[in-house]
Amino acid sequence: MRQSDVKELIVNMGPQHPATHGVLRLVLELEGEVVKRCTPYIGYLHRGVEKLSEDLTYVQCLPLTDRLDYLSSMINNIGFCLAVEKLMGINIPKRAKFIRTLMGEMARICSHLVWLATHALDIGAMTVFLYTMRDREYLLELFEMVVGARLTVSYPRVGGVRCDINEEFLDKLYRFIEDFPNKIQQYETLIDRNRVWLKRTKGVGVITAEEAINWGLTGPPLRATGVYYDVRKFFPYDAYDEVEFEVPLGKNGDIYDRYKCRMQEMRQSARIIKQCIEKLPTGLVLAEDALRIRMPASPLKIDKKEIQFEVYIEDKKIEEFIQKFPEVYASVESPKGELGFYIVCDHSAKPYRMRVRAPSFVHIAVLPKLCEGFLVADVIANIGSIDIVLGECDR
Amino acid sequence: MKEKIKEILNKIFLVEIFKGLLLTLRMFFSKPVTVQYPYERREIYPGFRGKHALVRDPFSGDEKCIGCMRCATVCPSKCIYIKREKIENKMIVIDYVIDASRCVFCAYCVEACPVCALILSEDFEYSTYNKEELVFNKEKLLRNWDEFIKKWPEDFYFNKFWQPSGIDPSRWPKTKREQKPIPIRKIEITKEEKRVSSTD
Repeated sequence: MRQSDVKELIVNMGPQHPATHGVLRLVLELEGEVVKRCTPYIGYLHRGVEKLSEDLTYVQCLPLTDRLDYLSSMINNIGFCLAVEKLMGINIPKRAKFIRTLMGEMARICSHLVWLATHALDIGAMTVFLYTMRDREYLLELFEMVVGARLTVSYPRVGGVRCDINEEFLDKLYRFIEDFPNKIQQYETLIDRNRVWLKRTKGVGVITAEEAINWGLTGPPLRATGVYYDVRKFFPYDAYDEVEFEVPLGKNGDIYDRYKCRMQEMRQSARIIKQCIEKLPTGLVLAEDALRIRMPASPLKIDKKEIQFEVYIEDKKIEEFIQKFPEVYASVESPKGELGFYIVCDHSAKPYRMRVRAPSFVHIAVLPKLCEGFLVADVIANIGSIDIVLGECDR
Repeated sequence: MKEKIKEILNKIFLVEIFKGLLLTLRMFFSKPVTVQYPYERREIYPGFRGKHALVRDPFSGDEKCIGCMRCATVCPSKCIYIKREKIENKMIVIDYVIDASRCVFCAYCVEACPVCALILSEDFEYSTYNKEELVFNKEKLLRNWDEFIKKWPEDFYFNKFWQPSGIDPSRWPKTKREQKPIPIRKIEITKEEKRVSSTD
């Protein structure tokens, strides 16, 4: 066969492909088995969360944020609440801060466990899937114990959290956290030095620190290149400035380093939870000045004041605050990267515009860069390593 | 040099593979964590957000709802429809419909209700073949409550979201603040209790 006879083969991967982690469609242009170009097509899971939120009050928007990154809905809620609290100038009680930190780290562990399970399953390590799901189940049960839901929790609320946690929960969580480093050790025994795993991950999907910054990567993919950036350290929210933890860094920026980063992050999360349980203060879990943006009052009492209260935020202190800061941006370190909420306020109880800075959306953009020049099988490994959730990307 | 030899030996004797296999072998002898679902059931924690139910007043035998529309206004997915009428200066709820196929199970309605008339019960097995059965009207919601309390092991029922712990009680209306666990076994209600509750 002459060289000129070789034609590019176009392969459609997804949207119903189990290894694309949701409904991501990739169009691959192949030359033999080498990917020449990769084009991601997104939008299959678009629900218009940003637009929907313009028609709902701040309190009502909260359940929508559950459905962004459904693997760590707790952290999405916290991000949204932080943005609204910044807008209204609400200071939340200390106990609520610690509970949020604790719950956020639990959600991070949950998300990382699902990531490890699916990523390893894509590459071919089946056993890890079973072990991680076993441990995640325990954490989900703990979520259920507190709020009555396993996945879409809607636990944090503007001005604090929804309900208090009890001793039984803390006891169970502490027992899990004590044992958790051993569990991580188990996963690492299975894949850390496995020759198949090393061959598939080392030196694949490399990105340098400079490129990573230019592409706007955050979270573990950025830290794997050796850049020290973590929202929890740089712009501490909740109780992160009161607990000790390290930010694990990688070196080469390949899939193996991203894997290493996340494994270390889980250990640090366990450390944070332990400190939170030990330092947990007593008191109320909802701020007193959170009153004004409570759920809408009844329209039955047709009273002019009541109607005004329902539609507009009347509190003078909050009014002053909003005039100072009509637009806010608050970000949290979600398991995927920096998750930000940008809210524009128009003095009503509803956001004028809400924009979500989703890490998955940014990370999908870098996928063609990671895949080009590698084999088709490495595309799967790359998708797994950047840990995308399409619910968050398409919104 | 030593490390290199070690590495080569590791490679030849498949050390890391055998370590992994040893772990899986050890797991083979440990207790399984799987729950064989339809035959075995996992314990569900109180306060689980499942199937909707309207609380039946143990004294009057009718629903507790007063038709204040708070739940319908607070619902983020707008799945609660209430039909009410004012008869002789008293609000009467003619129909109360929850579209469970639209519900997002946030339990805001349970929290917003001033008289604690609504719950999300611990029942989660109610899948159907058609959507119409998921639209619960007032009779269906009351029946859900009856079915739910039949399985409830204790004599009194109290939902966690009626009075969430750790929140200043002054935020709630008076009726909500004074809500006590509901007696669900008819035999338990003595005449004295009935008189006390009626004077309230």
